[in-house]
Amino acid sequence: MSTVGNADIFKQSFREEAREILVDLESALLELNDNHRDMELVKRVFRALHTIKGSGSMFGFEDMAAFTHNLETAFDEVRNGRLEISAELVDLTLSALDQIRAMLEEGAAEAPVADPDACVQILAKVRHLTGKPESVPVQTKSAPPRNDSISAAQSASQSSSQSSSQAAAGAVREWSIRFAPGADFMLNGSNPLSLVQELRQMGGLAIRASMDSVPPLGELDPERCYIHWEMVLATAAGRDAIRDVFIFVEDTCELSIEPVSSSVPSAPGSAEASSAAACDADRTARALEDKRISSGGRRTYDAPDHASSLRVPAAKLDQFVDLVGELVTVQARLSEIAARSDDPAVAEVSEEIERLTSSLRENSMNIRMMPIRATFEKFRRLVHDLARDLGKSVELTIEGAETELDKTVIDQLGDPLMHLIRNSMDHGIEPPAVRTERGKRSTAAIHLSARHSGASVLIAVSDDGGGIDAEAVRNRAIERGLVNAGAQLSENEIFALLFQPGFSTAKQITDVSGRGVGMDVVRQRVDSLRGSIDVASKPGQGTSVTLRLPLTLAIIDGLLVNIGEAYFVLPLANTQECIELTGADIENANGKHLADVRGELIPYIRLREYFNIRTPRPEIEQIMVVETDAGRYGFVVDQVLGDCQTVIKNLGRFYRHVQVVSGATILGNGMVALILDPERLAADAVRSIAQTARGRPAGATTKPGGPGRGAAPGRDS
Amino acid sequence: MSIALNRTESLSELCLEGAIDIASAAELKDLLIQALGCGTQVRISIDGATALDVTAVELLWAAEREAKRLGLGFSVAGSISDEISATLDETGLKPFLVFAEASQEVSQEVSQEASQDSGVIPCQP
Repeated sequence: MSTVGNADIFKQSFREEAREILVDLESALLELNDNHRDMELVKRVFRALHTIKGSGSMFGFEDMAAFTHNLETAFDEVRNGRLEISAELVDLTLSALDQIRAMLEEGAAEAPVADPDACVQILAKVRHLTGKPESVPVQTKSAPPRNDSISAAQSASQSSSQSSSQAAAGAVREWSIRFAPGADFMLNGSNPLSLVQELRQMGGLAIRASMDSVPPLGELDPERCYIHWEMVLATAAGRDAIRDVFIFVEDTCELSIEPVSSSVPSAPGSAEASSAAACDADRTARALEDKRISSGGRRTYDAPDHASSLRVPAAKLDQFVDLVGELVTVQARLSEIAARSDDPAVAEVSEEIERLTSSLRENSMNIRMMPIRATFEKFRRLVHDLARDLGKSVELTIEGAETELDKTVIDQLGDPLMHLIRNSMDHGIEPPAVRTERGKRSTAAIHLSARHSGASVLIAVSDDGGGIDAEAVRNRAIERGLVNAGAQLSENEIFALLFQPGFSTAKQITDVSGRGVGMDVVRQRVDSLRGSIDVASKPGQGTSVTLRLPLTLAIIDGLLVNIGEAYFVLPLANTQECIELTGADIENANGKHLADVRGELIPYIRLREYFNIRTPRPEIEQIMVVETDAGRYGFVVDQVLGDCQTVIKNLGRFYRHVQVVSGATILGNGMVALILDPERLAADAVRSIAQTARGRPAGATTKPGGPGRGAAPGRDS
Repeated sequence: MSIALNRTESLSELCLEGAIDIASAAELKDLLIQALGCGTQVRISIDGATALDVTAVELLWAAEREAKRLGLGFSVAGSISDEISATLDETGLKPFLVFAEASQEVSQEVSQEASQDSGVIPCQP
């Protein structure tokens, strides 16, 4: 591997890590804004800035390192009690964070560009707050990471070590440090020498290296450091300051820092304090020996590496899932062939492959599942900034951040949630004075939540604002010609108008919202994810918008059914049971489409009629009972052919308006089966009933290009 | 950085030049295995080396241990640079590569080979 290639890989690796650090930094800053005295948060911010600066310098982001250095200095001042956290400092650091992000992504397509003027202004304000002159890292120039990591890492931590040492008051104590680099330690451009040198700056250091873990020459990975170190450091600095030395490598090494003895008093302010506190040779030797004995003196080179996670590019993962999808399709063909074969061996192999494919599919789907936390957390910043810009006081609470859903779904959730929150902040939540007049808390609440519900995830954005004025929405819809003046609309139908393109009740367009674009984006995105939107609102009390999204978009478990020669798949997660429907049952129902299931009347939809399939009806049909948001419904089919793993294929743009079908799949015999969306199918039928009952079409809710409706559930056909 | 392997009937000598670090670690390992595979005494000449990092030190240590197992002489020869000396001191690695006077602690075989050279230094675990 070439040096240039390595440098690029290191840079990319740093970028990925830095992005995560910046997300954590932003989150910590926003929490800090609510709790100025939380020193753990201050330390978290400091460590993040310290890492960004040090690693940035190491990997060639000198401008970013120099810029971050000044912020780090400010938080070092806070850490040491010389500066107090203020809203201004948090805002400045958040603005600085945006600039750091831009510097990090420099050169990437469509990436924001760092604004040098803004950087200068931010730093001037930070210096004004700290009262410190401009400072630059001791040594910001760094060349390729491998060769210059010593100086870079050293310089990066120098100021913090020094300040920590200076901050320490009087008592010098001994710390036992055990440091074992991880497998990738050297490959990441780290070097033990720089760490040791940094420790030596903090006080007297006794060191012993151990070769116990070095394997025989033939088995040795030449780019790995197997040596581990046991050290005793006599210093006035605390554990955190020592840990800061290892801040760049802590995640990739074994590290323990423990006090070994009581404090050694030293003369305050004595220049010789650290050297006078240099370890007593005998005591150090004993301490090191004790550590060696406690570790058992075992050879550990053959111990396996315990990497708990791997970083894999998303594109590789998508490719993997695509291949699993193809495998599932081929496996279905094999099952089909095996069913027609007389050879029991073929059947046996087919069953085994089916079992393995099923496990593989489940595993691959699980790999793509991610907690929604990162997506939720980024809205803290949005709420913070919007609240400031709109002059409102808003508290964001998050629930169910650990809820997992498919990465593809998460990737597309950011925009809809952003529009919902912006809308809520701008239109829903009242100004503090108005809230107080209405007897509400002046600080408004926005609640972001996620939870599983069957094969779906429910994501809700709720606020305690003024709610939606349904009458105003209706009037606006009439003004725009979306509905007739005399139309009778249910509350749900009125709220559905909010998601029409260009629809807005805002009296004025602001920077935040009012153009009527955002809600349309929400609807389009949710539609593309095969999700649905539910709006609930009470005047004066607030609004809740719930997005129901599928857990995954790639492969689902389904039940294969047929009507004549047409095949359909019903998602297994929605299906509860299957009951027979005979000609006698139909006659007994007096033309009603109702099935008596153990005393419960369940409306059903005859899919033959719904899809206008002109084949003769069998004597005995099957009712698939499914659970939907609107209750239990039955879908009548000819036969249930069995369960199947279904790779979902898009129907393409010509069929994008066909809402009741969520995709198609290829069966083992080469036929195409449509995958039904029970929620939409039931909702469409319910709408049919409502419209028929009112005796007019509901222009507001008619989906263009929707399938012709046949028999509505519970009605005469 | 360069590493050269020179072989005679009785000696395999690895000459290290420049900074010997992780960038050359794979090459150093290969050449050490080759040198040990010759079945002769092995000498590492570090006259031209300006720096040794931990990967180089652990490779030399592992090679010395392998040489012992094979019953071969193994030595590190040449004048040690100040930078290398300081690195070994600071990282506590000096005990694993003790640089002694040529007249001391030199295995008999290597002493004979080294009689024409100055500063032959055995590597001691």
